[in-house]
Amino acid sequence: MAAKTFFNKIGSLIFTREIFQDKKSLKTLYRYFLTGILIRLVFLPFFFQRDLLSTYQRAAETISTGNLGYDNLQFISNMIHSVYLFIMRSIFPAINELFSTLLVKDTWISWLSFNSAYNVFTTLTLFKLLYLIFDIVCMFLILRLSFDNKPEKKLQVFKFWIFNPIIIFVLYIFARHDIIAVFVTLIALLLAKKDRKYWAIIILGLAVALRFFPILILPVLVLYLVRSKKDYIILSLAGVSGIAALEILFRFCFGTGVIFPLLNAQHFEYLLTPRLDLVAGSHGSIFIFIAVYIVIILSFLHIKKKSFDILLNYCAIIYLAYLGICFFHPQYMIWVVPFLIIIFVRRKSLLYYHWVQFALLMVLLIYWGDLVTKYVFAPIDHKYFVYLTGIIPIIERFYDSAAFVNIFRSIFTGISLWMIYLIYKDTKILQMNELEIKEIEKS
Amino acid sequence: MKRISSVLKIVIFSIFIFLIMLPAWGCRGIFYIPGASYGYYVWEEDSRIFVEWSIDQKESKFDGSISTDGKITDHELTGWEEEIDVIKVEEDRIVFSATLNDNDYSDGFNFDVEGHTYLEFDLKINDGYDLNRVNVGEFLENPESNVFKIEKDYFSQLGMKHWYQRHPFSEFFYKLSSNKYFTFLYLFILGIIIIEILRVTVLAGKRRKIIWLAASYLALILIEICVYFILRFLVK
Repeated sequence: MAAKTFFNKIGSLIFTREIFQDKKSLKTLYRYFLTGILIRLVFLPFFFQRDLLSTYQRAAETISTGNLGYDNLQFISNMIHSVYLFIMRSIFPAINELFSTLLVKDTWISWLSFNSAYNVFTTLTLFKLLYLIFDIVCMFLILRLSFDNKPEKKLQVFKFWIFNPIIIFVLYIFARHDIIAVFVTLIALLLAKKDRKYWAIIILGLAVALRFFPILILPVLVLYLVRSKKDYIILSLAGVSGIAALEILFRFCFGTGVIFPLLNAQHFEYLLTPRLDLVAGSHGSIFIFIAVYIVIILSFLHIKKKSFDILLNYCAIIYLAYLGICFFHPQYMIWVVPFLIIIFVRRKSLLYYHWVQFALLMVLLIYWGDLVTKYVFAPIDHKYFVYLTGIIPIIERFYDSAAFVNIFRSIFTGISLWMIYLIYKDTKILQMNELEIKEIEKS
Repeated sequence: MKRISSVLKIVIFSIFIFLIMLPAWGCRGIFYIPGASYGYYVWEEDSRIFVEWSIDQKESKFDGSISTDGKITDHELTGWEEEIDVIKVEEDRIVFSATLNDNDYSDGFNFDVEGHTYLEFDLKINDGYDLNRVNVGEFLENPESNVFKIEKDYFSQLGMKHWYQRHPFSEFFYKLSSNKYFTFLYLFILGIIIIEILRVTVLAGKRRKIIWLAASYLALILIEICVYFILRFLVK
């Protein structure tokens, strides 16, 4: 009996109480889970983008030199990768055999020797296994974000995550580590949902220290959580505490900072690049994203009854605005997914637009050339794919490749802006529902 | 709507399979895109030897020679610019030098040769050797030495190579076979997941579920054994 109760508790903890108590929903969830895992495993050993190797090269360098401050811009994620690599290296000979390749400074030589290694598939599987673990945790965390007491809708959320093309592409084909910061951000949002305001902001601060992007939703989270005027100051300070702690740690331990290199990094630069010059040749410009961002924040500020679903909608709006206006790398698209999949349940049309976004992203890959197109397949046969005629020369043969990609980029922006409008409309409905509930409660 | 969706899925799947199998089939003659493909392409068609080269819009110089122990009886030029491109045809030797630029994407020549046992190629790009850019035959084999010889029946032998002996399949199967533990474990995990999916879907309503499950696992083990022998056969 005690064992049964224990397993029931564990089951409810993993699958949520609503789904665990409904046998049919639990079975459907299991089916989705297995199919999703199967798709992920199919891609796991065979593809990667060069940045995965760089990530593990930094980790190998950290292990080999013992220099913990080797990567000041991604300190925490480098630490996670270093610990993981250290453990994997001591368990699996395949990783140990390729460790010297990871330490090669010349990026081309290391890339070629990595791809030509006979055990490249094993190594890639183990490298990406870390992301699979975070992905699995995220898919169960996301169940808790919305639709309480509605197991069917929770199931839909799960389905949209597990079969999401962006998640599968970014984590298992492109192989980027953004999922770790997404995981921390989801925890922060769950804490916010449970009204643990200080913890929510502190954890989001940690997510900011992991990756730059959660900082974009920090203002809306603060606005959602504030209950008094002093909360504005306390929560804002707590939000930047993660990055501030890193700055202090690095100043003391390694003599270098984090904040200014981050501000000079391309992530921040991308926010400022789209600009409107007020007078030709003068310094007067408007940074378009910042102006749009302020409008979004003000719009959220003026909502009287801010529900958690409205907060999630605004997070989606912010990331869609970023993707629509600014230059981005393919992996940045993962940041909008946790918020969009919840909205898909209410507005199915957005799901179709999301798939179009993904299709367009495949065209946008041309921006980055061979590195993110044919070289992704290099583990299968690097010689074949390196010398295979790439998509860019073929396009260039008939039309300017930059113009070609920019046409699709413009369509992508148009679709993203339209999605923002649809989410805004959805928010209005949510607001009305909130007001109705309030009225009922009053009466 | 459902029917359209199924048809669409079948079409996408067929295109996907076609794209995967394209390198395996190979095509008669040779396929390259002037202005996009970069390098030399050498092949045989109706007993004539074709030598062509192409650039991906970067100006490049292509020069070299082809010599034989037979007799070159006839030659024909393709896309030749008399002002900048030079070719000298002797009885047993062809020497050429040509430059391609953004107005001229490809050049080449073809010739008949009689009574020969071999052809010797010395092909340079920008005064150097780049063997990965020299593609011989319809399956784009790369030579192993800077100056390389091919026997008379080389092209017909090349045509007899099986799909699994060609890139990228040869390398792919080599990696799978030289990493057997990974391959078998990987396939086994995939198999278990597929059986589990079948168990909760197709087999859910069956009466003798346990027998079906046992049969599925037995099939999986048999597949693993087959894979072992197939890989041994593919990678000799």
